[in-house]
Amino acid sequence: MKNWDLIVIGMGLAGLTAARTAVEMGAKVLVVGRGIGSLALFGNTIDVLGTVPPATDLAGGVTNWIAAHPDHPYARMGWKGIEASLRAFCELFPAPYAFAPDGEGNSLVPTGAGTLRPTYLLPATMVAGARITAKETLIVGFKGFKDFQGDTVSLHLQCRGVTLPLPRYGLEGLTALALARLMDGVPFRERLGEAIRRQTAGESRIGLPAILGIKDPAGAMRTLEEVTGARVFEIPMLPPSIPGMRIFHRFRGLLIAKGATFLLGNPVTGAEVRQNRCEGITLQNPPLERVCRAENYILASGRFLGGGLVSDMDRISEPIFGLPVLQPASRGDWFGERFFEAQAHPIHRAGLLTDRGLRPVDAGGRVLLKNVRAAGSILANHQAIEEHSREGIDIATGFHAAREALLS
Amino acid sequence: MDLKTEVLIIGGGATGAGIARDLALRGIPCLLVERGDFTSGASGRNQGLLHSGARYAVNDPEAARECISENRILRRIAPHCIEDTGGLFVSLPEDGPEYRASFIRACEAAGIDTRPLTPHEALLLEPRLNPELIGAVQVPDGAIDPFTLVMENARDAESRGARFLLHTEVTDLLRSGSRVTGVRAKDRITGEEFAIAAAWVVNATGAWANHILGLAGLKIGIALSKGSMLITNTRLSERVINRCRPPASGDIIVPNDTVSLLGTTSLRSEDLERYEVTPEEVSLLVTELSRMIPAIRGERFTRAYAGVRPLVQAEGAYDDREISRGFALIDHESRDGMAGLITITGGKLITYRLMAEKAVDFICERMDLRVPCLTRVQPLPGAGMGRGLQDRLLWLRRQTPASRGEIICDCELVPRENVDAILKEGKVRELQDILHRTRLAKGTCQGGFCVYRLLGVLNELHKNEGDAGSNRILRDFLEERWKGIRPVLWGTSLKEEELIESIYKGLFNLTPDEPPAPAGGTR
Repeated sequence: MKNWDLIVIGMGLAGLTAARTAVEMGAKVLVVGRGIGSLALFGNTIDVLGTVPPATDLAGGVTNWIAAHPDHPYARMGWKGIEASLRAFCELFPAPYAFAPDGEGNSLVPTGAGTLRPTYLLPATMVAGARITAKETLIVGFKGFKDFQGDTVSLHLQCRGVTLPLPRYGLEGLTALALARLMDGVPFRERLGEAIRRQTAGESRIGLPAILGIKDPAGAMRTLEEVTGARVFEIPMLPPSIPGMRIFHRFRGLLIAKGATFLLGNPVTGAEVRQNRCEGITLQNPPLERVCRAENYILASGRFLGGGLVSDMDRISEPIFGLPVLQPASRGDWFGERFFEAQAHPIHRAGLLTDRGLRPVDAGGRVLLKNVRAAGSILANHQAIEEHSREGIDIATGFHAAREALLS
Repeated sequence: MDLKTEVLIIGGGATGAGIARDLALRGIPCLLVERGDFTSGASGRNQGLLHSGARYAVNDPEAARECISENRILRRIAPHCIEDTGGLFVSLPEDGPEYRASFIRACEAAGIDTRPLTPHEALLLEPRLNPELIGAVQVPDGAIDPFTLVMENARDAESRGARFLLHTEVTDLLRSGSRVTGVRAKDRITGEEFAIAAAWVVNATGAWANHILGLAGLKIGIALSKGSMLITNTRLSERVINRCRPPASGDIIVPNDTVSLLGTTSLRSEDLERYEVTPEEVSLLVTELSRMIPAIRGERFTRAYAGVRPLVQAEGAYDDREISRGFALIDHESRDGMAGLITITGGKLITYRLMAEKAVDFICERMDLRVPCLTRVQPLPGAGMGRGLQDRLLWLRRQTPASRGEIICDCELVPRENVDAILKEGKVRELQDILHRTRLAKGTCQGGFCVYRLLGVLNELHKNEGDAGSNRILRDFLEERWKGIRPVLWGTSLKEEELIESIYKGLFNLTPDEPPAPAGGTR
């Protein structure tokens, strides 16, 4: 018996986008995930294609990119499809914590290493970080919070930095999550704002690690801005990522409210395949194994980190359906000699090949599973890390896969 | 700045540091010059094995006897560097009982205690051994921490008047007629060049011996043999596990605190600057060693590394494993007519003390000094203290979360105060110096997280201004780290790699084409 219209495997941004798209189209959806994917690690801003120069037309840049990279996942839906998916994403985040581009096309935002990174959609709490100048900017770190080294950021941005103690909390060995929870409380924000204000010397912009609370980041920013009289921005830092968790919580809340079934922590261990169709997947729920069935399936299980791809000493494989994985000839070819190479390491281009509807195909282009679609980083022929396209690929392919599954 | 000393030692490995300590204990002034940091050569790139000598008993009884004698001495003078694990020589069906019998006889002849075990007894001691084994022999192998050992020798020597110049390269041997009278040296960080006058120059550069000798047009017969090793993420056995067969690639597993070190290969090497572990070597080690402990196939590896052994060449030997693992003390006056210069090379980590004793005995004899060697009985300064891991865990047990302060490295539990203390001493000059002196970057993530934090500490203390805007130090570290992890990237370690690349190349947008920063290290 089929209980669902669609089962989405994976709870990263691709899986969440697919599930949400399907739910809003009226489908009955089950989302299963081993974990919350790369959102909790790297989710900050929405990168779409960082190779397009800042402050230029992104639509034209992406269209040219697709013409030069016809195998890229973006080629499956083109700029029109990407744009529609990004618009849908933005609708999920109404003001005050909204996502939007800063001016035309990509902009550069500071990072926890004191570098600048090109990105497209910024959450409201990061907008003031784009286009900063050294003179007007103060970077604030916290003593004992080791995952954001404020002195590193200020050294490389060549602006002023301070490291504030948080004496009333005894917080040596502080984590991002602990700080974010503190920031959800109003009294803490006010005291922190006051402590920062005493350190300012006429700076008009203040950069903090991205810990401005999980529930009400815009409110935390507003309080800090009121107390300090300067514009405040968050800086992405070492994992875990608080802004990524905000995105996750928003999706989860919406999916549950709209009636989707949400199973976090249950790995999918196998699939029943009959005549080029998936008939069900096996969910592990120790000590039980349970089979779930749907008309359609979306595989958004990520790459190695997410478990969507696995490897042994000899080869890379896809563990749930055993789908063929495009990959270099042997292990010796997976990585280049140096860590920093002009091109991404060949292994990063490995992944699943699909047709235009994101259905997995074999090397000859034949569709292997008619009711299964792949979305997100598991796809072949992108270099999300170097291209700075991680979130864009997740959103565009998740959106596209759900629509293709339900409309075709 | 020109310097003067009695004995000038070139090389800051175990031998050089051992010679410095031996000289200092005998009251002879000395100065040690090292091109990098202590243990940057083979002394920091070995398997950390406290040899019982059993491995050499059959083929090289002389080396075996040296090993067991030094094994006993080191247990007395450096107990804090040693974990007395004991060792097993395991026979599998394909190894047959004959080698085992001659192995036991040879150990007896060399004075190495053995105790034969039945397969059942062996499996009770080491349950992860291959159950197909046909027998095992217990020997007094152990694990030794070469970093602490060398640093302790250096620390003791320094407290007795020895001096060290690290990151200093010898660029020429100064000569007067047929006598070496000192060296020219260059500080590799500041670029400063100067002369050091010395009555004796000791070439203790291991595999680099001919590089130094070449400066005076001399050359000795040593073969360079690359040995590659792997580090697992967990400890596979309580004891050192050896394969009971003639020496071959992939025949030993040495436990080291919470991990195991798997070795080794033996390949002729010519290039001393680039010796990387190849995928073929990794496959060979995993295949061979999983015969002894089958679980190795599914194990996560954190790093691969290689060292270059200097093997003193005997005429007619064609396989490096048949060249003696013994050492050579070469007096270049009698050999080449060049007075004031000796070379000491070959040998094993475990015979470093004996090598130092022989070298210093020789110098004393030539100087007509009759001072006895004390290193055989005088314990190293930290000898009363616990071993590193034990100490760290006991320290942690006594702490509450609030009192333990900032932990920079979560994998290895390195508190920030350790780093602050090292910086306060003012002797470190490069990031790698700090890494050599702590457990930072040696755990599961191989520095992926803690080096970012360490750089933050350096920046906070304004030790890093030269790096402004370039992130050169971070990029160099990631490049160096890459050499160790690239060969073992599959399975779980591939996940870690995706995480690290996503952080540094994705989130932090570090790219290969940033402008090079001006030369110069961490101040």
